Amino acid sequence: METKKATRFNHLQKWESTLSACIRCGYCFEHCPLFKFTGWESDAPRAKLITAFGLLSGELELSETSADKLFNCFYCRRCEAACSSGVTLTDVFTDAKKDLVEMGYTGPGTTSITEAYCAQCLLCVQSCPHEARSHGENGIETDPVKCQSCGICVEICPAEAAKIVHTFGTGKADLIDASNRFLDTHTSAKAIVFACNWSYYPDLQASRLPESETHDRDYEIYVNMCAGRLETETLMAPFINHAWGVLVSCCPEDDCQHKDGGKRAKKQVTRLQSILKSLDIDPERLQIVEIPNGDKTLFQAEIDTFIDRLNALGPIT
Amino acid sequence: MALNFGPVYEMMPSSATGNERHQKGIPMKRMDVSKLREIFGEENIKTDPSDLYAFGSDSSVHHAMPWAVVRPDNTEQVQKLMVYANQALIPVIPRGGGSGMCGQTVPIQGGIVLDMKHMNRILEINMPDVYCRVEPGVVDDDLNLALKSYGMFYPPTPASSRIATIGGEIANNASGVRSVKYGATRDAVLGMKVVLPTGELVTLGAHTRVEATGYQLHKLMVGSEGTLGIVVEATLNFVPIPEYRCMGIANFDLLADAGAAIGEIMASGAIPSMLELVDSVAIKAVNKTMNLGLKEVAASLIFEADGMVKEAVDYEINKMKEICKKHRGSDITTSYDPKERAKIFMGRKKLFPALSKYDDCLSSTSLADDMAVPYSKMAEMAGKIHEVAEKNNIIMTAYGHCGSGCMHTKILMDTKQPDQWASARKAITEIYEYVRSVNGTTSAEHGIGLSKAASFKVEKADSLKLLQTIKLALDPNNILNPGKLMQAPDDWVTATGLRYAVNN
Repeated sequence: METKKATRFNHLQKWESTLSACIRCGYCFEHCPLFKFTGWESDAPRAKLITAFGLLSGELELSETSADKLFNCFYCRRCEAACSSGVTLTDVFTDAKKDLVEMGYTGPGTTSITEAYCAQCLLCVQSCPHEARSHGENGIETDPVKCQSCGICVEICPAEAAKIVHTFGTGKADLIDASNRFLDTHTSAKAIVFACNWSYYPDLQASRLPESETHDRDYEIYVNMCAGRLETETLMAPFINHAWGVLVSCCPEDDCQHKDGGKRAKKQVTRLQSILKSLDIDPERLQIVEIPNGDKTLFQAEIDTFIDRLNALGPIT
Repeated sequence: MALNFGPVYEMMPSSATGNERHQKGIPMKRMDVSKLREIFGEENIKTDPSDLYAFGSDSSVHHAMPWAVVRPDNTEQVQKLMVYANQALIPVIPRGGGSGMCGQTVPIQGGIVLDMKHMNRILEINMPDVYCRVEPGVVDDDLNLALKSYGMFYPPTPASSRIATIGGEIANNASGVRSVKYGATRDAVLGMKVVLPTGELVTLGAHTRVEATGYQLHKLMVGSEGTLGIVVEATLNFVPIPEYRCMGIANFDLLADAGAAIGEIMASGAIPSMLELVDSVAIKAVNKTMNLGLKEVAASLIFEADGMVKEAVDYEINKMKEICKKHRGSDITTSYDPKERAKIFMGRKKLFPALSKYDDCLSSTSLADDMAVPYSKMAEMAGKIHEVAEKNNIIMTAYGHCGSGCMHTKILMDTKQPDQWASARKAITEIYEYVRSVNGTTSAEHGIGLSKAASFKVEKADSLKLLQTIKLALDPNNILNPGKLMQAPDDWVTATGLRYAVNN
């Protein structure tokens, strides 16, 4: 209820009617990578709109934790695609961030940061698809409003100084840990599939199958924010752990939210395929496929084809 | 902030049904977070206001702050919590996806929100015995995806199946477009394990299709809105996915003709797998915002039949087609093709977003949104809704699963204006008076919670004492989701803070 309006939320103010238009159906949180990772509703997009409403109306006190909710977002926009009220959620979040920055809150949330040992090579500044990185007096700086947490800077930084602190399971270490865990615990394991968040992977979203259904799984799917940020280690680690193959899904080239993520991923896969070849490993064991937004059926078909191919090749000996 | 519109329209004396402990203002002991930590571990507790604020909301108009949110992984933790809460007199509010539309999970008296989303294991899919066992946090769509590989599906599925959990569906006896043929959640539940407010674990129901072994208490738990026990495991039946599905649509220039067609279809012995009504307000809304170019008639009926044999489906569809024709239905088309079916259903499917975008100043609210009336009254009900809306200066659509007698509405109003809330309250009161006058019922699918308590109390006037007796027998300290159903305040507008900004 609107008792004392926090007038400082000048940018958020214009979304007041949108915040009422959200019917809070919750359809947004099913595919949100944050919700999928933490399982807490309060990390889901709906909660961010509720937080924005609370801050704007003065019902919710502005604090580090309430501000941080709005800095945590990978801008995948799956919430917007699912919204039954047509709310452009990330625009609301961005405007809220503008206000928060003006009030001295900068997250970082999922915003990328730069460690002090940065060599200032400016590669990240050049390659940031969102023009969020710049070189100033204090070295490389990230604009928390512009940053969309795609992680391209993290992938490209030769000094490993660019970082996303709160990865919500989408960081390099998370993906490697998770894929290793699957390979270690499933004797049936053959493949790791790295899916772009937009590939709508054809699997259970928020429930778990009985052990009897999963103990003989031959692949597992792990979601990352953009195929363009899959590092060499992430793609090669499964091979060290006896995977038969690795499949990467990316968006069609003209449909990548982070400009040329698909192109970058393909380049990366081609490079690693030649390394595999030089190690006498069939390069077909690492493949990349384009999956248009929402095409679960195609994705499942591509996975099935890949597994068939791996079955023909057998394990790496 | 509570709105004050002057004297509240008292539906009935609150003393007859009230929540005694609440009314007498017996103070609650302080909640001991370390106790919660002991049971659930730090990572499964939320106490920061920014988290609690989000958990104070669902898909209803209500908002109230809980004191803590906890997330159990297993039955034992739920039992331990209930033992503690029962002794410390702390309200516990079980919560699934938070997609409820009447405030069932809004902690009106504070307390601990019990977030069941992590008890999300599908425990067993038993094909020979045609049942599955699931934990309450399993999401409906996920269960259906798991069943699909067996050629089966779980039919009660509400529209919110992408986030609705089985536990929440059980608590509200949820159903959706297919209830006309397959029934609601209550029809699909064979048995369950329930933690009682005292912490005791009981096994109710059976694993068989029929059971006559005493009180069917599992059926009582269905629709109890988290006030009687916490479902920690459910045994559900499922049915084969039909081989054939055919959908049709018919337009009507008169609401009464559509209504007559509905009644005759249901009385004819035809078994539609879906029978939906969309009114003129809804059609106009969809056209206005989505530019779908639908014919702006008084009403459209969308009908569907499914089955394993094409001839049987043909028979059902033709029967419904003929009845529509007889009642001056026009532009009748039917199709088996999935793409054509999607096109036919488009107007209905796009209704929610269309209503949200109808007018920038108006919000689409969930109030009085799922009453059920006898088939022969469906059209009259829709007409009544239009009449009452106009009289009270709000916009209301009428659409719904008319094959189940369920009428959905949305109220479009300027939520900033206090007088719009007063209008909504007046309109809703009038609508429910009509519903009861034709032997309808307050809720068909979404439950009572807070928003519909007033009409519920009038409708169930002669059994309210009995309901409260049952409640107190199971929950002597009234700690499980208190302040809901018969205990809810009579005036829903002032029951809690509203989730909208309302001008002073």
